[in-house]
Amino acid sequence: MRKYLTLFFLIPPAILSQSTSFDFHSPENIKKFADYLFCEGDYLRAIEQYELVNEKLDNDTTKFKVMLGYSALGLYNESNEIFKGINDKSIFYPDANFLSFKNQLISEPGMINAPSIHSFNSFQLESFSKLTNISMLYEDKFNISRENFIAPFDAEELNQVSTFYDYKVEPPHKSPALAGTLSAIIPGSGKMYVGEWGDGITSLLVTSLFAFLAYDNFRADNTTRAWVFTGLGAFFYAGNIYGSVASAQIFNARIGFEFNNGLELFLKQQNYFLPEYDFCN
Amino acid sequence: MQSKLNVFLLIIFTSSVFCQVENLKWRKADFSYEKQIHSSKRDYSFESENAGEFLTKSFTNAYWFFISDVDGDNCPFRPTCSTFFLQSAKETNIFQASLMFFDRFTRDMNIAKGHDHYPRVSAGYYYDPPQNYTLNQGRINYLPPAFIVDDE
Amino acid sequence: MISVIKIFFAFLFVWIGTVTLVAQNLFDDQFNYARQLYNEGKYFDAVTEFKRLLFFNESKSYDYEANFFIGLSYKFGAKYSDAVRYFTLAEINYSTSDELFQTRTEIIKVNILRRTTHRALTLLDSLATDERFFNKMDEINYWRGWTYIFLDDWENASFSFSAIKANHQLAVFCDSLDNDLYSPQLAKILSIVPGAGQFYTGEYISGLISIGWNVLWGYLTINAFMEDRVFDGLMVGTLLWWRFYSGNIQNAEKFALEKNLEKTNSALRYLQNNYIGKKP
Repeated sequence: MRKYLTLFFLIPPAILSQSTSFDFHSPENIKKFADYLFCEGDYLRAIEQYELVNEKLDNDTTKFKVMLGYSALGLYNESNEIFKGINDKSIFYPDANFLSFKNQLISEPGMINAPSIHSFNSFQLESFSKLTNISMLYEDKFNISRENFIAPFDAEELNQVSTFYDYKVEPPHKSPALAGTLSAIIPGSGKMYVGEWGDGITSLLVTSLFAFLAYDNFRADNTTRAWVFTGLGAFFYAGNIYGSVASAQIFNARIGFEFNNGLELFLKQQNYFLPEYDFCN
Repeated sequence: MQSKLNVFLLIIFTSSVFCQVENLKWRKADFSYEKQIHSSKRDYSFESENAGEFLTKSFTNAYWFFISDVDGDNCPFRPTCSTFFLQSAKETNIFQASLMFFDRFTRDMNIAKGHDHYPRVSAGYYYDPPQNYTLNQGRINYLPPAFIVDDE
Repeated sequence: MISVIKIFFAFLFVWIGTVTLVAQNLFDDQFNYARQLYNEGKYFDAVTEFKRLLFFNESKSYDYEANFFIGLSYKFGAKYSDAVRYFTLAEINYSTSDELFQTRTEIIKVNILRRTTHRALTLLDSLATDERFFNKMDEINYWRGWTYIFLDDWENASFSFSAIKANHQLAVFCDSLDNDLYSPQLAKILSIVPGAGQFYTGEYISGLISIGWNVLWGYLTINAFMEDRVFDGLMVGTLLWWRFYSGNIQNAEKFALEKNLEKTNSALRYLQNNYIGKKP
């Protein structure tokens, strides 16, 4: 009986000592909470919590998660700052290095010049080659053969990547000089050449109308009106040539914009050739 | 000594990153019940850098006051054709601005113009700034048709 | 022997009570800490601490309150989608009908602030037909009035406030503003006579210029037709006279709308900064 009584008396103090020692803000509990926030996608809050414990639970996993968090928030420079603190002996170093290339490519589109690191595994080496080759598309000077460019890519990526290559080497630009010349010969034809059919037909009609009005008024000896229509017609004609040159330039700017947009979309779909990290299951 | 330096650097690094998070935290929004006003007011000032500009601005102000402000909202573009001419004259010269203006006027007369050609401003007008028509390729800021520009 | 057992059970009861009380106090402390941050206006940090409480509180005893305050914090940060999400989570964990009403009202207020007023009206209608809230009709009408204010429908806003009390302060306010506003439709109709619509809205100079142009182009058009200059008449009539005539109608409407916007913004400014009463 006394043994049972002793046992019963000891249980509540054991429970009490556990609950009084529960600390919301202990490093372990902060880390648990931070992991939960990271999995919920509340990255800024997760980063804040990880930073609170980084000194005490200095851990490359949390540093890499902070790096991922900053990158997901679009804070690419901050993400790359975290990379500087990751030990090159860490198992996450190759992934972190790769992520830093992705951050660099998004924040400053341009060719990736860094060499691959020796700790990349074969999958990472392949992904790195893909990313490096794609990054060349952002440069004005593009000197690589088609075979070398498409070599690292898989069968399902080849189609799209080949299109990017062809677009880069021979963009479907329109010649501003040709557009201007065509409009000088037939008003509006330069705009039609650029694909602006509505504007081209309007130009043709307006210039023709003023030409007719000028001719008709000269024929009817209404000299003042005739000269007014001639002057206006001349300005519309000159404006049509000018506008055709400008249209061709805007068309070429559109080609560049759509190319960059398409490239960005492709990279996002491929997640910049990074694997999907699952820290939550 | 090295370990003390490492600790010092770690503290500086952590506190600087913490400051970054602190700067990124959202705060109480400065919210107003008032409705947004989308229509922009004309600039009737006569500020100019030379006599030519003063003359141009005088004619423009007179045109706005006696004609444009009275004949209704006819221009589907922003900036309007008269403002387009003024801005073009500032960016280039009077002759080039005239050519840009007549091209703009022709495009305005196109009854089939562009849902799929021009971006828009928040009030719904087509956004067509003069910088895209200066014949300087580097100044062109192409925006796709689906884009909504924040301000004019 | 019997008295030892009695003493033992009494002692056990006290110990378990103490243990539970201490554990509960820790969560109370965390809640109070988070609440303090909220009261100090540190909404981001308040959300963090409420989320921390929710994460560690396995008994879910704070689910309603913590989610509710997270919703309020997001509302203050103008993060309305997040606010609605957390108010909805609070709604799932309500325990009294007052708590349920409170969360639904907050969701309505968020919809008012982000000007999704039709959604707010739909939610108010569902509250009005819910028999649990038949004693809350005054408050429902109050928020209906505010919804109409943000919908720029001052007449219906006045009706809603009047349903609470005939001479409710906001009913009088909305009514007075509604009477003061111009009617864009009337401005357009008056503009059948060039310049009249503009005079109605107080834009006299614009009205006079409009009259001048319409008289000029009208005279030139009619004169051209009378002199058999049909082409001239058509050109002046369509390109000039019609342009200035339709412009006069457009301008009258535009002036009415612009002046109304100034008045309503002034009223909204007053309500936000000077009105002492519940606001969204």
